[in-house]
Amino acid sequence: MLPIVLLSVFGIVVLFLGFSKSKNILLPATLLFLLVTLIANFVDWNHQYLYFNDMLWGNNASMVFSGIVLLSAFFVVALTRGFEQEGEAAQPAEYYGIMLFSLVGAIMMISYENLIILFVGVEILSVSIYILTGSDKRNLRSNEAALKYFLMGAFATGIMLFGMALMYGATGSFVISDISEIIGTRAWNEQSQLLYAGLLMLLVGLLFKVSAAPFHFWTPDVYDGAPTIFTAYMSTIVKTAGFAALYRLLAGSLASLQDYWFATLATITVLTLLAGNVTAVYQTSFKRMLAYSSISHAGYLLIALTSLTAKSQSSILFYSLAYSLSTVSAFGVLILVSQQQASNNYDAFNGLAKKNPFLAFVLAVSMLSLAGIPLTAGFMGKLFVFTDAAQKGTIWLLVVAILASAIGIYYYFRVLIAAYFKEGDLATIRIAPFYKVVLIIVTTLTIVLGLFPDLVLQLV
Amino acid sequence: MYSDFGQILLFIIVAIAIIGAILIANKIIRPNLPNEEKLTTYESGEDPVGNANVQFNARFYVVALVFVLFEVELLFLFPWATVFGRPELIAQTNGRWGWFALGEMLIFVGILSLGLAYAWVKGYLDWIRPEPKKPDYALKIPKDLYQKINQKYSTHR
Repeated sequence: MLPIVLLSVFGIVVLFLGFSKSKNILLPATLLFLLVTLIANFVDWNHQYLYFNDMLWGNNASMVFSGIVLLSAFFVVALTRGFEQEGEAAQPAEYYGIMLFSLVGAIMMISYENLIILFVGVEILSVSIYILTGSDKRNLRSNEAALKYFLMGAFATGIMLFGMALMYGATGSFVISDISEIIGTRAWNEQSQLLYAGLLMLLVGLLFKVSAAPFHFWTPDVYDGAPTIFTAYMSTIVKTAGFAALYRLLAGSLASLQDYWFATLATITVLTLLAGNVTAVYQTSFKRMLAYSSISHAGYLLIALTSLTAKSQSSILFYSLAYSLSTVSAFGVLILVSQQQASNNYDAFNGLAKKNPFLAFVLAVSMLSLAGIPLTAGFMGKLFVFTDAAQKGTIWLLVVAILASAIGIYYYFRVLIAAYFKEGDLATIRIAPFYKVVLIIVTTLTIVLGLFPDLVLQLV
Repeated sequence: MYSDFGQILLFIIVAIAIIGAILIANKIIRPNLPNEEKLTTYESGEDPVGNANVQFNARFYVVALVFVLFEVELLFLFPWATVFGRPELIAQTNGRWGWFALGEMLIFVGILSLGLAYAWVKGYLDWIRPEPKKPDYALKIPKDLYQKINQKYSTHR
């Protein structure tokens, strides 16, 4: 509860800091606030807690999930450089304020006990992201992305709300532990039909937010149209929070119905893996490829969710951490390169390694991690997820996933080939010291977690 | 056999049937004598002017949004007031209840007022009127020339 209160207060403070004459105070202030929240997040360590009339629930795992979200937000905010490059029209105070507010929604999604809190959290997060997507007001593509995301997101939220209402109709409760109890008293074929309809609609709403196929059509356009820094923000935060929410729903209240929803979710997993990976091959823009890659990573995360073994939670947790870290560094490099070249295409990276060996190395580590090559965090993440599937005994799902990650290697390595082996006239890119430090930390974390995954796993 | 929702369905069916019956009865009974006045759009007795699809100033929405915000705040104040003023709760907690409830509401109203203050400082509450543009050309004829001409022709009359 403490991080929620702190983030709300800090958000308001940042908004009003925007009125002060010195614009340079905003970035350090926001970073400080995020750091304070990150520490406050772990106050309840080793305690289970229930807050707000038993509407929020938390334990170590949910605190680590919130920690991942706050940490990725910290890195992304550090990469904004105070929005100095965005020109006069930029409103840094509002962007930082909205980012802090959106984290409130993310933490609510991670640690809800009552479905109403889930809904409120999803809305807080989504509405903030709609605004951030459209924050480049003069850019038509940004406007289009925001409108598209808003309209589709509003529909998805509506469907999710229908689902909650139906589940309430079937069980008479919004509290997920109560729902679990009520479901547990009946066999799966004696359940009310309303429950199944509600579960399906609730899943549709949440799967839309994490961009699982067939609800992924908004992702490429929105990721491509949004300002790159906010693309990095939403691809890390929304995905982590969305999967934490999905896990909490399925494991916390519907685990006994796994036989029922397994087929649905497994189909969606396969679709997501295929749609994400196959379409990513045909992209010429690196940014758009990252959008499809985020769809395919949703697919890998869904494998752990579908299997739902005892280890699933830690797999999801580790995978989202690994994914967030490598995504942040990939976008960090993309921001610098696209500023120099005024393009997001693969060609923009031609000859990056010659004069910018550091950036090329950061890019290489993040691509290797996303592709799942050993010695990186992404490999360990994939290993845990695949182990879950093997434990559940769904070998066919495993085969699809391994084929998909083989395709993934092709498109992740395209940018590395451009950076290392192609000729290009990319000049030396000046990197601010702080920016460099953030990239170093993220890259180091990716490698360290690939070597010692227990550092995170022992927390849960 | 039917659940509670069956009654609602029945209600909907009856409502549609009654309204349909009334409309059809009206259609049969009423005389049909249209003229120009009857066929124009009803605008509170005024003659309708212009197209209905006019664009409103976007500032209407900002003001409306702020208005709705405080309308909702007021809505929350009513249930709060009934709980806040309960003498038995105050007596049970030795007066702490009143202060607690008051503090909670002050925080709530405070956050909303901060939002209003933010919109105010940002200038979203100013209603910018279109300023008439001053013509921007320099007159080459000196002003006293006009005066001289006026004087010259007024004295000779």
